[in-house]
Amino acid sequence: MKIDLKSPFSTAVAIGVGIIVLAGYFVPSITNVRFILLRTGLVLAAVALLVGIINLITVHIKKLGADNENSGYSLILVIALLTTLVIGIIDMVQTYLVGKPNFQMTGWIFTNIQLPIETSLLAVTAVSLTYAAASILRKRMDIFSIVFFFVILLVLLGSFSIPPSTLPFLHVIRDWILRVPALGGARGLLLGIALGTITTGIRILMGIDRPYGE
Amino acid sequence: MSATGFTGIVVIVLFVGLMVFFSYINKDRKTKNLRPIPAYDKIIQEINVAVEDGSQLHISLGRGGITGPEFAAALAGLGILKQVIEKSSVCDHPPIASTGNPVISILAQDTIRGSSKAISVSDRIRNPSGELIGVTPFSYAAGTLSIIRDDNVSANIHTGWFGNEITWITTAGERQSSPTIAGTSQLPAQSVIYASASDPLIGEELFAGGAYLGEGKIHQASISAQDVVRWIIIFIILASVLLNILGIDTFLENILAGSM
Repeated sequence: MKIDLKSPFSTAVAIGVGIIVLAGYFVPSITNVRFILLRTGLVLAAVALLVGIINLITVHIKKLGADNENSGYSLILVIALLTTLVIGIIDMVQTYLVGKPNFQMTGWIFTNIQLPIETSLLAVTAVSLTYAAASILRKRMDIFSIVFFFVILLVLLGSFSIPPSTLPFLHVIRDWILRVPALGGARGLLLGIALGTITTGIRILMGIDRPYGE
Repeated sequence: MSATGFTGIVVIVLFVGLMVFFSYINKDRKTKNLRPIPAYDKIIQEINVAVEDGSQLHISLGRGGITGPEFAAALAGLGILKQVIEKSSVCDHPPIASTGNPVISILAQDTIRGSSKAISVSDRIRNPSGELIGVTPFSYAAGTLSIIRDDNVSANIHTGWFGNEITWITTAGERQSSPTIAGTSQLPAQSVIYASASDPLIGEELFAGGAYLGEGKIHQASISAQDVVRWIIIFIILASVLLNILGIDTFLENILAGSM
């Protein structure tokens, strides 16, 4: 069966649900309806995760067959995904048979494989961020980039606890930057983002933007 | 109804009213009255380059879903995806879309199918992917790198919800010497984008894609509505400062709290 997401019915449902959820914030009598709709949305999002994983594995199985230089990565992904899935299912069955939570194997994978990998990637991110900050003047040599670069430098110098960063005026400058211009700028950006978020939401509620198809 | 709820309704009604008003008064206007945003000019330029040299554009939509505060960035990214697909319909190779959220992945695939049908290139081979790359920040970033390193990708457009991991993605684009246009609504990631992307979208610029890429009059009207509300906010902030200096703010607070 092919579900046509692009029908006027789906548009009406999306707009209707959106308006009820929004109204639930302002009208206390329909708060329960809002919670029911939000919970339904969360369940659907979980189902979407399953669909997304099926999509992911399908795409990478296709890449295995093709003449693709990254097919080795796809193979590792498919093997890792299937192995973790099988181990997860075994843990779930054992939990069911024993009658108490028993996710030892899944926990082992998380602690000994995923956690070290993610931690290593976080460390690499620090290097990558430093490289990005250092290369900004090479990309754009304008007044804003120069200010950006020197502010980073001042804040970093004021944050260190080794000489010459221990000079008291550097800490004062750092604190002032963080309290006044950085906070003011952040608030300005947040106001702009909030305004953009409101207009995006209203356009969707009015049916002008339809990310669920035409 | 609480004071916050009442304020919320007032803001929404104000926005809707302003959007309808500006779309009405601008309905016959042919020219756009918008300040230039270099990142959107670059997107149009890169679409033209992709058409001419037969390369592909890569659009990554981040890892934001629709049930949290990141929804607007994700939906703004989907809007830009739709515009890019429609404008690049004559390309030899369609754009590649990638995402780190399953719901946005489904919506991206639906947007792609809808836009492709609209431009009559709905055959399976030419349809872009909209695939889910990874569901954690680093798995998403690492998975996206292989697409960026594809020799046929001429430019990367990253619009959606990203964290600091975007530095991997933007730096990879730089190493490939391909232009990187990026925008997100997360503040720390915006500073990363400013430092590492060739064409950053700062603040609310991410949400202006429809107006700048020719989505329609109502998108331009929503930009005008934002500007009006922005001036109102500026006026309120300045008035608050003035009242604070004059010492009248506590007097007003007492009146609002009903304690006078």
